[in-house]
Amino acid sequence: MDNLKTYAEVTWCKGCGNFGIFTALRNAILKLEEKGIKREDIVMTAGIGCHAKIFDYLNLSGLYSLHGREITTASGFKISNPNLKVLTFSGDGSGLGEGLAHTLFAAKRNMDITMILHNNSVYALTTGQFSPLTQEGWKGPTTPKGSFEIPFNPISLLIEVGATFVARCYAGDINHLTETLIRSIEHEGFSFIEVLQPAMPYHKWEEYRSEIEFLDKEPKTKEEALNVARNSHRFTLGVFHQASRQVYHKGLYEDHNPIINKLSRDARLDKIRKILVIKNRK
Amino acid sequence: MVNDIFTFLVGGKAGEGVKKAGSVAAHIFSSMGQRVFQMDDYMSLIRGGHNFSIVSTSTKWITSHYMKADLLVNFDKRSCETHINDVADGGIIIYNSDEQEDVDGVGIPFSSEAEKYPMKNLMYGVGAVAILASAIGFKKEQMNQSIKNQYPRSIEDNIKFANTIYDIVKGGCQGKFLLSKGEKERPIITGNEAISLGAIAGGLDTYFGYPMTPASSILHFLAKQAENFGLAVVHAESELAVINMAIGSTFTGARSMVGTSGGGFALMTEGISLAGITETPILIVLSQRPGPATGVPTYTEQADLSFALSAGHGDFLRIVASPGTIEEAYYLTAEMLDLVWKFQTPGILLTEKHLSECSMTIDIDVDKAKWAKPKMYQGENYKRYHDAEDGISPMLFPPSKEVIKWNSYEHDEFGLTTENAEMIAKMHDKRNKKLKALVEYLKSQYTVNIIRGEMTTNLFAYGSTYMSVLEALRYGGLNPTIVQPIYLNPLPAWELEEFRNQDNVVIEQSSTGQFTALLKEKAGLKIRSTIKKYDGRPFDPIKLSKKIKEVL
Repeated sequence: MDNLKTYAEVTWCKGCGNFGIFTALRNAILKLEEKGIKREDIVMTAGIGCHAKIFDYLNLSGLYSLHGREITTASGFKISNPNLKVLTFSGDGSGLGEGLAHTLFAAKRNMDITMILHNNSVYALTTGQFSPLTQEGWKGPTTPKGSFEIPFNPISLLIEVGATFVARCYAGDINHLTETLIRSIEHEGFSFIEVLQPAMPYHKWEEYRSEIEFLDKEPKTKEEALNVARNSHRFTLGVFHQASRQVYHKGLYEDHNPIINKLSRDARLDKIRKILVIKNRK
Repeated sequence: MVNDIFTFLVGGKAGEGVKKAGSVAAHIFSSMGQRVFQMDDYMSLIRGGHNFSIVSTSTKWITSHYMKADLLVNFDKRSCETHINDVADGGIIIYNSDEQEDVDGVGIPFSSEAEKYPMKNLMYGVGAVAILASAIGFKKEQMNQSIKNQYPRSIEDNIKFANTIYDIVKGGCQGKFLLSKGEKERPIITGNEAISLGAIAGGLDTYFGYPMTPASSILHFLAKQAENFGLAVVHAESELAVINMAIGSTFTGARSMVGTSGGGFALMTEGISLAGITETPILIVLSQRPGPATGVPTYTEQADLSFALSAGHGDFLRIVASPGTIEEAYYLTAEMLDLVWKFQTPGILLTEKHLSECSMTIDIDVDKAKWAKPKMYQGENYKRYHDAEDGISPMLFPPSKEVIKWNSYEHDEFGLTTENAEMIAKMHDKRNKKLKALVEYLKSQYTVNIIRGEMTTNLFAYGSTYMSVLEALRYGGLNPTIVQPIYLNPLPAWELEEFRNQDNVVIEQSSTGQFTALLKEKAGLKIRSTIKKYDGRPFDPIKLSKKIKEVL
């Protein structure tokens, strides 16, 4: 299955932005393979929602997680085997609603994983309720008079809490998305890509196309990045922030790998005997 | 001293070294070859309040502290008033003469003496050790050696203070409780240390936790030992993160464990259900404290049993087992780690504050621990959920040329989401087959601890209550048959068959009798009476033996 597809029937709506993400991702993996990254080292998790269906379609190893917990599952992968390249697919409801705390903590820790946030600004699979990224005034089944909460700014939020690669892409620009995905996966640290993605029953491509713009240049510092993220249009694409900072697993155990360098049973039992002796004297 | 048992109680405010003094006493007894059981009672606060530590010691195996103490050291008036009735016949009360008078005991000017040192109240614990040393007939040199070993900071001040107290207390209690030498020196560990060491011996690679009494000390111990054993030990943002990180970790082949108490466990149930459908081997330590909700954080109870047995939505196998002693906690943790890997399903090691945080002298055969190892897949065209005869699909971990899909949705054998009617039923059947395989396996294992007695009544207890019952029977000179099921799900009904229509009494720490209900439902036992305690405190062997006598 060299096209990285499984046998699953694809059930995204016709014209859904998820197709663009699916294509860009497969392109990115093939290009990463050309650069020497092994496909079997790439593993993924997904939350629950339309975004997450990609788990069934993409022929890669991984764990189809719970709604909002995809980031924690991905963190678990990385912590136990840091040799793996970990991707986590998320949605605006999953990653910034149910799983908001996990997303912020993964960024705070600079967990070396790539989070791809499919932003369709709506709870699509559960029939159109407003999401943490929905603009004010949205009339969904839970907000019949229109939503009156303000949406998060995911870019400035993630820069603020410590993500070291933060970008916004658009499912309609596959080349830009592919290149950004490659950069984010190669980046050591927590990478966050918000992908603007129309959901067909709720949006039209034209609403996006007419608004899309690119950053003039990539900000150099965190302060500058925050400034740009706060003041730019929510359809502004590009890499807002990239920085280098110690990743979580290095802080935890430096260059160790708990699975690959697992201590043998005999060595463990010897050490346990020593602990039991020392405890007695101390 | 009753039955050759000597009990030392030390009480005072948090921050005065109460627990430390108890633990130093325990080590002094153990260095004399004695057996020891230590219980710490503390409030949910950082400074002040009233804490106490009780250490009972004997030359014979001892499985509980005694609430009647032979030597009581009270650092303040509150402690003295609290424990005025906890003194055994012939016992001695030490009180703080700076705070009170007219107590029938030996007064020590703790406050004014400690005031002379920069560490002030922190000196109290050292004072308690000095009083104990005098009472058990230690020479000053012996005492000083113990203090040097146990209080490595400000050694000079500590020794000076100890000598002052030793001299003051001389007339009142020197040599009053001479203890005999026991057969050999033994290590002292807490239940949570036994659980941690058992997990390491069983192959643990990763541990995830969020602080919650009484499980926190597992997280602390493992964090400290992480480098020594090459483990990853993570303090995550919530129990939701904890369980899901652990499941992710297991996906890569790591033997993973998590630990918590009732409230945290409630949050974890979502993930336990995920472990059920993804067939994730994962061990969860649930150390019970009184609930519901925040309940009473630093005390003990057994009221999460029914919750543990059915934790997580949906049909799936949960293995639940509970250690009766601290030694068993070591073996059982390794065994449970092995079991969850053999059967690829979540397992719950159910325990209580009483076992988690009490410490005792132990005889552990380190090598007897099991080692968790999965059934691995060989060959191509891997299917994660291959419908094997016993329901157990061989495993593969990344990196692998084969694609490995674990799925929280109902799935086909490869692991892709399905809504197909036939497949849904087939996967339920596949997972359910594991129960049959597990029961067959457990039939060859030690699943119930039975001590045969000579009376017609059988006593049933699980978890740390078993230790309380053992001590109560020893104290009361009673010998009914004791039955302690180690496994609670599946409950080994095959081992309990013979007791069905006999005269059975249950002893447990749940106000509604959850264990009694389980025995009735799953083993069909006729139960005449249940002795319950649900005030957060563990049973006292003297009081419990009276209650047992009443029902026998």
